[in-house]
Amino acid sequence: MTDGRRYFEDIRVGEEYESPGRTVTETDIVLFAGLSGDYNVLHTDAEFMKKSIFGERIAHGLLGLAIQSGLFYRSGPVYATLAFAGLRWKFKAPIRIGDTIRLRARVLDKRETSRPDRGLVVVERKVLNQRDEVVQEGETDLMVERRSGRAG
Amino acid sequence: MPAERTYFEDVPLDEVVETPGMTVTEAHVSLYLGLAGEPPDDPSRVPDLLPLCLSTGLGWRVPRPPLAVQAFLGLEWEVLRPLRVGDTVHGTSRTRSRRAMRDGGVVVEEHRLVDQHGQVVQQGRFTFLVARRPTEGGQR
Repeated sequence: MTDGRRYFEDIRVGEEYESPGRTVTETDIVLFAGLSGDYNVLHTDAEFMKKSIFGERIAHGLLGLAIQSGLFYRSGPVYATLAFAGLRWKFKAPIRIGDTIRLRARVLDKRETSRPDRGLVVVERKVLNQRDEVVQEGETDLMVERRSGRAG
Repeated sequence: MPAERTYFEDVPLDEVVETPGMTVTEAHVSLYLGLAGEPPDDPSRVPDLLPLCLSTGLGWRVPRPPLAVQAFLGLEWEVLRPLRVGDTVHGTSRTRSRRAMRDGGVVVEEHRLVDQHGQVVQQGRFTFLVARRPTEGGQR
């Protein structure tokens, strides 16, 4: 252990983590619209959304995905992640302005890869709101550095 | 008069749509890291979820009116190659399937992000719930 990060060998299938909460604000949504260029009325037109099934603007689904990615770093010891390899993701319910979301994650699987310096870690994730409703969930594939492959 | 949108009935199947490009800058990286709350890494490395976040906005900058999305239902995504600050990506997409529902329909789009060398850097599928065209005199 030199830098406190967790390598492929350190991670165990079945480990669970829970993050602190984060309140999603109007500012987050406005900034994400500017960054992504996604100005869909769902996220930007309060008057239009008053007449929708949601009744108000909701967060971009991908904003929720980005925020949970940040929350993962605050859920426990940080992985020695080399790359995000992929994900399978469902948006189950809207994230509204003022909602406080948190991440519950569990290591689902670990696999060797063809490269000796890294392994694949599959993490199951659920994003919960303040009422414990699952708003987003899915699986993410992370390429994590191997301790044994570092010197080579 | 609301701006024109592409409703479920009007979504063309298998037509390839290509977006303009976007050069990914340090400003994008810095805004993304602040918004996501991810710790800063190598400043020239583009966080892997940032290009995915740019892909939906790029999809707005095509000749077709934006899809009348009622909800983003889900996605499958693969990150094939890392991006560096200064790389330029554009998107290509096509609709793979349409399934009518009672109030709208489910549309599955295939998306690719391509860099300035023509290499696919990220790809996957988005699933949307799309509104039906409003009937004459009906609610919009």
